[in-house]
Amino acid sequence: MTESAGLPEPNALGLGGLRRRRWTGDLTFRAVLSVLTVAITAILGVMMVESFISASPVYQKFGIIGFVTGGTWAPSFTVYGAWAFIYGTLLTSLLALVIAVPVSVLIALLLTELAPARLRAPLGIAVDLLAAVPSVVYGLWGLLVLVPAMRPLEQGIAGTLGRVIPFFGPPTPGSSYFAAGVILAVMIVPIVSAVTREVFASTPRLQREAVLALGGTRWDVARTVTLPIGRAGLLAAVVLGLGRAMGETIAVTMVIGNSDNIGKSIFSPGFTLASVIANEFNEATETLHPEALIALGTVLLVMSVLVNGAAIAIRNRFTGGSRSGF
Amino acid sequence: MASDVATVFAPTSAGRRRKARLFVILAAAAFILALIPLIAVFGYIFVNGVHSLLSIDFLIQDPPADLSATGGGVRNALIGTLEMTGLATLIAVPIGLAVAVFAIEVGGGLARAARFLIDVLAGLPSIVVGIFVYTSVVVTQGHFSGLAGSLALAIVMLPVVTVSAEEILRLTPRPIAEGARALGLARWRAVLSVFVPIGLSGIVTGILLGVSRAIGETAPLIFTSLGNNFFTLDINQPMQALPLLIYRNALNSGFATARDRAFGAALLLIIIVFGFNLVGRWLTARRRLAGSSR
Repeated sequence: MTESAGLPEPNALGLGGLRRRRWTGDLTFRAVLSVLTVAITAILGVMMVESFISASPVYQKFGIIGFVTGGTWAPSFTVYGAWAFIYGTLLTSLLALVIAVPVSVLIALLLTELAPARLRAPLGIAVDLLAAVPSVVYGLWGLLVLVPAMRPLEQGIAGTLGRVIPFFGPPTPGSSYFAAGVILAVMIVPIVSAVTREVFASTPRLQREAVLALGGTRWDVARTVTLPIGRAGLLAAVVLGLGRAMGETIAVTMVIGNSDNIGKSIFSPGFTLASVIANEFNEATETLHPEALIALGTVLLVMSVLVNGAAIAIRNRFTGGSRSGF
Repeated sequence: MASDVATVFAPTSAGRRRKARLFVILAAAAFILALIPLIAVFGYIFVNGVHSLLSIDFLIQDPPADLSATGGGVRNALIGTLEMTGLATLIAVPIGLAVAVFAIEVGGGLARAARFLIDVLAGLPSIVVGIFVYTSVVVTQGHFSGLAGSLALAIVMLPVVTVSAEEILRLTPRPIAEGARALGLARWRAVLSVFVPIGLSGIVTGILLGVSRAIGETAPLIFTSLGNNFFTLDINQPMQALPLLIYRNALNSGFATARDRAFGAALLLIIIVFGFNLVGRWLTARRRLAGSSR
């Protein structure tokens, strides 16, 4: 704050000079910012286009529709179809949502309405820390602890429900779509609950207090005010969680069992788009194999842009466009 | 729904009170359920990894060429992680801040385009970022490198830094912004010597959270820095990183030695990531406290 001492005498410098100096300063400032912004926008744009160009031989050979809906992935015969992996991505992500959304909503309600005010921040940080654990560490734990621990549960479901519905049937080898879905659920709880928490915290205080004043319980507040008002924001949080789950790579790769075929049961091994890319990339030596994996990446790119775009659109329409939490 | 308030809020019956209690219990149960994995993961990694970390050799030796052999450490991975993340920070922070300031100070179509791209990037799977850098840098250069890995990590960090910086700068108190104007400060001067210093702790928090996210990334490095069993400081060489080392050793977890190495490296990685994360959050919390006491 010794700057003031360095200010020029007012009359040593005409107003015109001051203006010109400010003008050139601002011009340089703007120019630097513009160059950096244009450069990064262009670089990222070029990178996206570049990945589509790298994938184009595969799209040309099988057609976009043919590649996306193709059920066979056989690198040694130069046949590439993405459907098994799209199926795996959707199945594991939806499973993760089924588990994570109710838990996240309850956590958000706990942290906005139920917990004592002084506990809310520390409890919130604990949930946020779940998001800080690196994916590969979840994978390591999932592979060595979670998968073996869930085997009795899986066998139980496969032995009872699975006798009637093949979707829940054997085999139950451990690594499976189911295991991947559970790991993903753990990983998306922090993001879904953080966004939901913010939505719930912004519901009008007066309405909540009105319900309490009428003799309503905390559950009545949640049921008649928080949940109905927060519905759109909750939807945005769910879609955002879906986007996260679809793109998670390493933890899923370590517990999904790695199979190129569609498993009929939720307990069979499979692949997601992200995990097949991570798993096969460094050994992709067959004709068109690397290009096909890049093409899978472009499919994932399009899917996640659509899903995240939907989340942003929902949020902007209903919550007035606050960015925080994303 | 609101029309029959009387029926919704009849005098609190035993049934409604029971429902309310059940709701509280369920919410608490959900919270505990969510924390079980956190405690289980941390406890498991700590118990299995702490003995590796207690020996200094683990930090200053490189791993043996054969994953199943005993001894050795993770020096190459630790240095690789620090070097690549450091370089990524040097790339991502100036660009991220520039885009944030541009969006606020200049605005217009270009700013909207850039911000849209950053939003897209924020939701993009990190493995896709790895593919971007692979097709445009690794293929062009003809080899994997630590530099490519740094670029991928920088792209992962960029949205975190930009979004948080923009949010903080938008929160500059109006009287202070007007004061800067009234003093006749040029806009660039106002940004650099008033707005940025005021929001500094928030901006630093954003950077630290970005760093903590980038440090734990594995997926984008598979196609860019690849990994390297040997120690190198040269960013033009393939470079090892802690997440890559954990991943490769975990896939060979049939060998007790590989598994132990993965545990030690995982504990080290968790400590580094949580360190950055908690320091970042602490800065923001302190700022909030200071703000509320005013």
